[in-house]
Amino acid sequence: MRKEVPMVLTVLAGLFVIVAKYLHAVDQLGWFTVGNRWFQIVYAMFFLLGVVSLTIVHGKNVQRRRSKWVYSLILLICMYGYGILTLEQTVDGPEANWIYNNIIVPSDSTVFALLAFFITSAAYRAFRIRTREATVLMITSVILMMGTAPIGDTIIPGWGTLAHWLMDVPNSSAMRGIQIGAYLGGFAVALRILFGLERAHLGGAS
Amino acid sequence: MPFGLSLLAQEESKAVWGIFTAGQAGAFVAVAIFAILVYVMITRARAGQSIREIHKIPGLDAISEAVGRATEMGRPVHYTMGLPSITDPQTIAAFPVLGYVAKLCAQYETRLINTVPDVVIYAINEEIIRQAYLEAGRPDAFNPDDVRFITDWQFAYVAGVLEILAAEKPAAQILFAGPFYAEAMIFIEAGALAGAIQVGGTASTAQLPFFVAGCDYALIGEEIYAASAYLSKEPIITGTVVGEDYFKFLIFAAIIVGTLIATFATSNPLATFMTS
Repeated sequence: MRKEVPMVLTVLAGLFVIVAKYLHAVDQLGWFTVGNRWFQIVYAMFFLLGVVSLTIVHGKNVQRRRSKWVYSLILLICMYGYGILTLEQTVDGPEANWIYNNIIVPSDSTVFALLAFFITSAAYRAFRIRTREATVLMITSVILMMGTAPIGDTIIPGWGTLAHWLMDVPNSSAMRGIQIGAYLGGFAVALRILFGLERAHLGGAS
Repeated sequence: MPFGLSLLAQEESKAVWGIFTAGQAGAFVAVAIFAILVYVMITRARAGQSIREIHKIPGLDAISEAVGRATEMGRPVHYTMGLPSITDPQTIAAFPVLGYVAKLCAQYETRLINTVPDVVIYAINEEIIRQAYLEAGRPDAFNPDDVRFITDWQFAYVAGVLEILAAEKPAAQILFAGPFYAEAMIFIEAGALAGAIQVGGTASTAQLPFFVAGCDYALIGEEIYAASAYLSKEPIITGTVVGEDYFKFLIFAAIIVGTLIATFATSNPLATFMTS
């Protein structure tokens, strides 16, 4: 029963979406919109779980004075402090807004900026010419980098056109082929759930 | 205004053939054909009739190698799904693989760290891993603290994972199956710096080049959706993948016919039908 009931509910929810989405008479009833609202409410309830998980993991770190326990303490203070602050003055309150604009946003941008360095180091690893595929990757990327920078067309007129052709024709067609396969694969997964064949989301390895 | 009355007040849109929502008839027919094909393949598999096999997917075979390496080195395995969402099929496709990895880790007595940026997925993952340890006969080895919800904020999650990769130094990192966004490249490079063998797979096409360039083994696009059939070797689930392949042939035929019609005819009835 522990797996059967959730499985039946999943199948019913899947059928509900199909019927609500495709059949005009049902679509007019607005069930799909109501179902979406239910989903949002249930989803919001799950946030409590996240808070409990963080509190347990980091609470244990602080309690047992594990290494770097100070960071766990800072996390707990920030989480509960910001939560209480926004409960008191909403997210648009002056202090809450200040914290968001002056701490959260710059921290976010800092981590995002790491991407530039990681892409460079990944490019170095990928472009080392060891195999036939790596050679093709290297040649293509040189053509693209030179073609999209103004210097490419200055050195050899038409280089930019070649770079754009590479992006628009071979790259786009390959990407679309992958996308068609991926969408069909995704739909096959949905059908497996509807037919009750896919049960991994209910727990276990089988 | 009460809910029912507000609906009555809405302007009625026109039904296609008196049944379907406008713009959905073509999609419904395609979905129905696909469902029938998959059902036929499942029935054939159930009856014990022969169906095609899934070709070898090195990326999935490499998972056991990665867990084995972590076991030999006495270091943990890190599993991330990127920025998963319960409404995304890529995330659903990742659950069987997570269960498989968890079971392998339980059997090999290797620690599995699963970081999650979504509270719903966190609850599901914890249950999957707990059950996998139970199925492996080692429920006592399951540590709930190793399934970690970090935050649902993308780059804050990245910062959390970077710390775990630097501190725990996993010997294997599985990045499966998404959706992945800008965080993918950061995870892959941080994993490489930690000396981890990396198996990645996604259908997020914008991130695929990074997976191919950075991971030791990469699964591309639809391969991730075949994972549960490939790993379970269950003929009935394989049947769904075979049905999908046959439908792909129909799509290719429709593309060729549509291209010919669009090139040589004045109107395109196929396009009109699909958007009706």
